[in-house]
Amino acid sequence: MTINTGISAPGHAETLRKGKGDWLQRYSTLGVLVLMFLGFALFVDRFLTPLNVSNIFQQIAILTIVGCGLTFGFAAKEIDLSVGYTVGLSGILVPLLLTLDWPLAAAIGAGLIAGLVVGIVNGLLVTKVGIPSLIATLATGSILFGVNFVLTGGRAIYGGLPQSYLDLGQGSILGVPTLAIFMLASALVAWFVMERTVFGRYIYAVGGNRKAAELSGLPITFYRMSALAIVSLFAVVAGALLAARLGSGQPNVGERYLLDGLATVFIGMTMFRPGTATVAGTFCGALFIGVINNGLNLVGLDTYVQNIVKGVIILAAVAIVSRTTKLSLL
Amino acid sequence: MSCRLEQIVMDFPGTRALDGVSAEFRFDEVHGLIGENGAGKSTFVNVLGGSLRPTSGQLNLEDRPVTLDSPRAALAHGIAHVSQEGSLVPGLTGAENILLGAEPRRAGGVLRSRELNRRAAELVENWFPSLALPLDRPVGELPMAEQKVIEIVRALRGNIRLLILDEPTATLEAREKRRLWSIIRGLPQRGVGVVLISHFLSEVRDLSDRITVLRDGKHVATLQAKDATEAQLVDLMLRREGALGPAIVAETRSRSVGAPVLRVRDWTVGGVTVPEFTLQAGQIVGLIGLTGAGHFGFARSLYTRQGVSSGRIEVAGRSVEARGVRAMQQSGVALVPDHRMENALSGEGSVLENLSMVHADTAARSGILSRRAEHAEAGRIIRLLNIKTPGDGQLIRNLSGGNKQKVSIGKWLYGAGDRYRVLIFIEPTEGVDIGAKQEIYAHIRRLAAGGAGIVIASSDLIEIAQVCDIALPFAHGRLGTPIPASEFSEARFIAAISGEAA
Repeated sequence: MTINTGISAPGHAETLRKGKGDWLQRYSTLGVLVLMFLGFALFVDRFLTPLNVSNIFQQIAILTIVGCGLTFGFAAKEIDLSVGYTVGLSGILVPLLLTLDWPLAAAIGAGLIAGLVVGIVNGLLVTKVGIPSLIATLATGSILFGVNFVLTGGRAIYGGLPQSYLDLGQGSILGVPTLAIFMLASALVAWFVMERTVFGRYIYAVGGNRKAAELSGLPITFYRMSALAIVSLFAVVAGALLAARLGSGQPNVGERYLLDGLATVFIGMTMFRPGTATVAGTFCGALFIGVINNGLNLVGLDTYVQNIVKGVIILAAVAIVSRTTKLSLL
Repeated sequence: MSCRLEQIVMDFPGTRALDGVSAEFRFDEVHGLIGENGAGKSTFVNVLGGSLRPTSGQLNLEDRPVTLDSPRAALAHGIAHVSQEGSLVPGLTGAENILLGAEPRRAGGVLRSRELNRRAAELVENWFPSLALPLDRPVGELPMAEQKVIEIVRALRGNIRLLILDEPTATLEAREKRRLWSIIRGLPQRGVGVVLISHFLSEVRDLSDRITVLRDGKHVATLQAKDATEAQLVDLMLRREGALGPAIVAETRSRSVGAPVLRVRDWTVGGVTVPEFTLQAGQIVGLIGLTGAGHFGFARSLYTRQGVSSGRIEVAGRSVEARGVRAMQQSGVALVPDHRMENALSGEGSVLENLSMVHADTAARSGILSRRAEHAEAGRIIRLLNIKTPGDGQLIRNLSGGNKQKVSIGKWLYGAGDRYRVLIFIEPTEGVDIGAKQEIYAHIRRLAAGGAGIVIASSDLIEIAQVCDIALPFAHGRLGTPIPASEFSEARFIAAISGEAA
């Protein structure tokens, strides 16, 4: 018995054929997002109102900021499982320091420093000790989880928070919610750094092929550590805003940003440049989750059922990415 | 009593790995299978061992056609394959590995360990009575030679008539090798034929009854081992159609050769020591040798400094003390490595991203990239090297082999000016079509004409003859007498790399 495997002609013809497949692949998730949006808009009364759309943006603002950070990690092929607890850390630390009468700038500065420390510790464990980031950050996440409870004694911190701080999460400027402004600013900064700077270019190079980057003379340790530090920095910004929005610091509110944050990046990796984390993709991923959550909420679906729906969608996204590209995180 | 493969063709997308290869393996012989990397040895034994279904061709076992569509089917027909990498489970004991998948069990799947140990010991005793193997220890703790024997015993546990051994001695020390050799020699007398792949030619000649030579996916010759000399085998492995003609060799080499750009003293890497090596500006030096001779490792170490146990290196007259890739890169040495998709390029990245992997900052101000400057510089390289791509945004994985290789070279030209005084190429035209090959050669010559020193380590002797000014042969871990371009000939190359005095 013979099997004929046609030898495909290399060169231009192949390029064009693949180009077309790529196009479909690149924009199919985006298409689903648009269809979902239109579906909710048509069939759910209160969905397409200015108030609700502004609501969606507020709901995804913090998630987007976390996702933007994670995008740096994924672009360098590093995953950070401690990110949720890092959100929690600054969501406690900043209000805690404010209740101790620290000035606002100092409290937020302390939160940023805490994030930097977490990121650098993660980075050192991954690059110097040589633990894969998936495992290293699983452990540091557990440590942070403990730290968060020790800091608060397991109780929420509220009362005595200055209005200037609460405004960061609850106010609006010229009718635009501050959270939406922070989200857009974070996404723009992240996009600019990733797409328009030498630093971003090299982060992608290190993630695209670490060996090739190393043999090209790039300081790969620096870029891997930087990527992990940036994940943590975005996470602490998100945490400080989260506590301001909630009006209190709670030890366990950050946790959901791990799974949702990863989901935004995974969904984002199915579009634009399949298999590669991009800021634009992550932003659409966050919108995707925001629209689902909001729409299902308006329909009156139970939160637990929402979680099931979300899980199924994440699986679908990851399945698409893994089937079409070589997605490897370990 | 034999297994015959007839007219085996194996196509992979874009390449034909085997082109009508026929061979007969008898069950009362050791049959050596040799050829350079890429000759098709592994593909051929994978067909024989049932791991690959051939595109066409037939396999006859004792004159009856059989279809082997899996390693399991091959085993059922008495053909076992011991691969080069080894397939033992390091945490399990020798006995457990020998009977892996065929453990004696009680009802409910409970292992009968005592029975397992007894049967394993019986197998070893039956096949190799003189060996004392510690079957109760995890194999990961055993020396490589004992691991290999355990693998062979496991392969022999069924009713095996043909055993394929792929580079069985590659990881062994000299003393261990000898032990394994006597085991291999003994198998045909027990009715088990051996197909032996090895790149140690003397070993193949000493152990085999007959030797089959493959080259570029074709059968070249099958000969009696006792009649073959090593030089003859090398010749069969390497001689290509359209061998080195005087026209190629006589090509003018009018570049002027300048001051030394790279100087190496007492350089020891792996098992190879090079007492002195000097590369001059404008010079193209070829490093040649058989697989395992150490010329690739030497070339690579000049850039990576990995595995270098001693030696001094000077670039453009200045000693480079700091170790590591970055120190070499920053002092003006570049590497265009082999296996480009692993070592040089990001397949999911665009042409632009890959070209700018070394010097992205050339199109940036204060770290911020200028789109226009980037496209301009990428466009310059794409035109300079004639890279065929719809644009600099095309993904690398969509390019052909030759264009990928051009990007791998282009990385060192993008924004580099004439910063790189030393360029090291390893297998520069691996998987590159003929047209692109000539373009790459032309560009290497242009780089040399521009004053760079070039090192090319290649297994393609025609390539060396076409491009290089001088060839340095490596044989038996030593650097032989340099061969100047005026003396390039196939016979001379082959004599030099098989270690015969020139």
